Amino acid sequence: MSVLTDKNAGKTALLMGNEALVRGALEAGVRVAAGYPGTPSSDIIENLAKVADERNIYVEWSVNEKVSLEVAAAGSFAGLRSLCVMKQNGVNVASDFLLHLALSGTRAGMVLIPCDDPGSISSVNEGESRHFARLVEVPLLEPGNFQEAREMVRWAFELSEQFRTLVMVRSVTRLSHASGNVTLGELPESDTKAYFRFDGNLLDAQTGPVITAPVPMRHANQQKKLKQIAEVFETSKFNTYTGPEKPELLIITSSACSLYSVEAVSLLKLEDRVGILKLGTTWPLPEKLVKSHITKAGAVLFVEEVLPFLEENVKVLALDSIEETGIKKYYGKINGTIPSVNEMNPDHVIKALTSIIGVEYSGMPADYEQKANIAMFTKAPARELTFCPGCPHRASFWSIHNSLAMDNRDGFVCGDIGCYTMAILGAGFNSIKTAHAMGSGTGIASGFGKLGMFGMEQPVVSVCGDSTFFHAGMPPLVNAIHNGSDMLMIILDNRGTAMTGFQPHPGLEVDAMGNRADATDIAEVCRALGATVVTSDPFDIAGTQEKLMDTIENGKGARVMILRQICALSPEKKGKKQYEVTVDTSLCRGTDCGCDRLCTRVFRCPGLVWNKAGGHAQIDEIICAGCGVCTDICPAGAIKRSEVTK
Amino acid sequence: MQLAGSKELVSGVIKNDLCIGCGACVSLCPYFKSHNGKTVMLFQCSRDKGRCFAYCPRVEVDLDGISQYIYGRPYGTEAMGNYITIRSSRAGAAAGLKTFQTAGTVSSLMMFALGKGVIDSAVVTARDGVKGKPVVVTDASKIPGYAATGYSAAPVASGFNEAMNAGYKKIGIVGTPCQVNAVAQIRTNPMETENFTDPSGMVIGLFCTWALDTGAFLKILRDKTDIASIKRYDIPPPPAGVMKVQSGSGTVDIPLTEIRGAIPGSCSYCHDMTAEFADISVGVFEGREKLNILITRTRRGEELVQAAISAGFLEAETLGDKDISELAAASMNKKKRALARLALENKINSAEGISVLRMNGEILKQLETM
Repeated sequence: MSVLTDKNAGKTALLMGNEALVRGALEAGVRVAAGYPGTPSSDIIENLAKVADERNIYVEWSVNEKVSLEVAAAGSFAGLRSLCVMKQNGVNVASDFLLHLALSGTRAGMVLIPCDDPGSISSVNEGESRHFARLVEVPLLEPGNFQEAREMVRWAFELSEQFRTLVMVRSVTRLSHASGNVTLGELPESDTKAYFRFDGNLLDAQTGPVITAPVPMRHANQQKKLKQIAEVFETSKFNTYTGPEKPELLIITSSACSLYSVEAVSLLKLEDRVGILKLGTTWPLPEKLVKSHITKAGAVLFVEEVLPFLEENVKVLALDSIEETGIKKYYGKINGTIPSVNEMNPDHVIKALTSIIGVEYSGMPADYEQKANIAMFTKAPARELTFCPGCPHRASFWSIHNSLAMDNRDGFVCGDIGCYTMAILGAGFNSIKTAHAMGSGTGIASGFGKLGMFGMEQPVVSVCGDSTFFHAGMPPLVNAIHNGSDMLMIILDNRGTAMTGFQPHPGLEVDAMGNRADATDIAEVCRALGATVVTSDPFDIAGTQEKLMDTIENGKGARVMILRQICALSPEKKGKKQYEVTVDTSLCRGTDCGCDRLCTRVFRCPGLVWNKAGGHAQIDEIICAGCGVCTDICPAGAIKRSEVTK
Repeated sequence: MQLAGSKELVSGVIKNDLCIGCGACVSLCPYFKSHNGKTVMLFQCSRDKGRCFAYCPRVEVDLDGISQYIYGRPYGTEAMGNYITIRSSRAGAAAGLKTFQTAGTVSSLMMFALGKGVIDSAVVTARDGVKGKPVVVTDASKIPGYAATGYSAAPVASGFNEAMNAGYKKIGIVGTPCQVNAVAQIRTNPMETENFTDPSGMVIGLFCTWALDTGAFLKILRDKTDIASIKRYDIPPPPAGVMKVQSGSGTVDIPLTEIRGAIPGSCSYCHDMTAEFADISVGVFEGREKLNILITRTRRGEELVQAAISAGFLEAETLGDKDISELAAASMNKKKRALARLALENKINSAEGISVLRMNGEILKQLETM
């Protein structure tokens, strides 16, 4: 039995941050959960899906974040506690509905958990979801540890229900993906029937229609709620202060940064000089609490990720109440004491503290960083970001790269979000030349494809994963078709949301909970939209290249090519080799003229190894996935494959 | 000769608008490919020296070294290079050829050579609309299927490489002067491979004043006709001044002035009109549509021609002095124009960097003042 559904309240368990968030939602009696995969948030929905049957929850992977928020909202409107989960930039996708949901209000408790990724460890941005709380005017909580993650989510549902507003609980990678001890609470039993009531007054969203009009009235109402919520926050146990009564310096911090602050103060032995105000309720601010701490402090330092959110809000508050708080010196991102990009860590806090307080600290020798860098670049084996052995993307980009090179008109690929984003690098033969948000590759390509009237002759190609196609790939394709853009959209269909861990998407016959689902055929969709569609298996290098060359050279308008091959790591394929691959060393040309190690120098599948002593290529039998593509790459016919008998 | 590798080939030739798309660097390795008449490099190769560079007829061509290998003497000042006889010719009845655009000398000779075992394979050009690609043929009866005029450059030399890769030892090839020069370099074993034997059986060169860049040519045609259904295209004798293109959608006349826009810049560096390093060179006989001009240059070339005449595959007679001097004048014109351009741009006998051609400086001076 999963610890997530352990009924022994009071028991302490080691939970990952995302598991603690899930436990909190289960303890709150969540009934509906929806999200779109995205690191570091994905395992929240996955864990809920695992216990969906046991806890009688509806869990879905939605087509995108906006729809997931809408699906969760329906649960709340029908009287069921609901949860929505996404990564930081997912909130941007959901933000239009988010703005309106803040205005209409919710019914049963509804919580949005965005997981931010400061430092962009698994992202192509380090956007922040916190600003959306202020922007759309909903309350924001930030757990500072694992225990709080559980408790805060549970409480967030109650708060949401009390004030009939969505509540955001923001996590970060270092909380979501680290583990800590969590004491479990009670798991409730509930049999609430779902029913959407709409017979009440037009102006009462609790019984009547759930709408945003009249806007000024509802807007005022939401702002009134926030004032009341701020009052509740004044006494929240999630806001804590540790330190002297009148600190020389007050650190105001939240989330994982509170841990870095504690560590830095402890290392510098400044406990009796520096106080730490850790805020768990970061929007709206508990103004009285914050003011009283500022008043007692000599100076203030803000430690947070990534942008100066607390810093700006507190400074506005401090200026408004300067007669009470007095004139204080404020340190943070705005005056450059703390960096406003990348992850925070104890070193940044130590550096800030030593410069403000004037204490000495040498954690590492002065030349440590330099030595570490030298060691990393000269001593450690190079481990490049690359596609796995047997990855269809390597084969796809091989053909895409070669076709565009053969065409010889400086064609290029507009990239998108997935493992295939790595085609910016050598893994995909540096094919991708733009990479932004989900679906943006095709949107940008749609634009490039209209520039022929200004003399642009370069072939325009976009790549898009199968999950991305459903998420945000269709509107730009429709746009390209309707506006007659000359572009080729290549859908790299590897049958799943592979990068985040094979979450199902609408193209598959299974849903988040493992039940059979109706699948939407991507090719049929594209045809219905009006695109010409060609399908190919990327492992058929010659056939794929021929089709690519044909459409790149002769195609007009918006075209779609689907390159379909299951991801090498997918559950149905993993560990199963189609071919046994070997190298005939007598035929291998190695570094000679006529090859120059094409397979191990250019194609670079990790399953191929250069045997320097022998001067030939060889197969790493342990990691070779047996796709057999290298057989077609080898110019000497030295790489042999034989079908594995089943 | 300074041997270098693909980097120098790309920077010195391809990026320098010197590449003619002859295909000499293609089909040797996975890196160089030919497409629509253009040679492209798919990926970087890290070798310092390569066959690609050694075979290229637009970089470090050692005219004396090649001449020495083929004729046993250094490169001279003759307008049409070394030759034994110059004839007018056409296919003989024994060849059994039907009506041809030209006089059929080349097809007839290739069929005869293949049939007699003088060559074990024939590299000829297959045409798909205006695109040309080399084909290796071993059945003499297939030769006539490939006899069509092609104004656009094709990577014929890559067919020679393919025939070598396939293990043929007496390869016959029909090519333009640039392609013949590529093959001539291959024959001199520039990479000094051990146990090398000349893989050529017979090299037939075609007179050439210019070719068309396939891509640029296609671009011109695309706006004027249905390129997918092009059947034939032809430049009638002056004063027509047009190219006639026949396709499924009818025949269109395209002014030659426009067509000339598709001539690659690289042709202006070519000094060779008559394929001087071939065994046999063949060209159109201006004003005599049903006859070719046939130059034999080597012993094996002359022997083939004589045998073909005896066997009724060829009809030939000695060309008159007036016609020879006209041909020489045209040939010398092209040679002098190219050498002047090469000299102006420091691309011949360059002291520093890579040179397109290298030859005896005295001979070069004589040619310049002729």
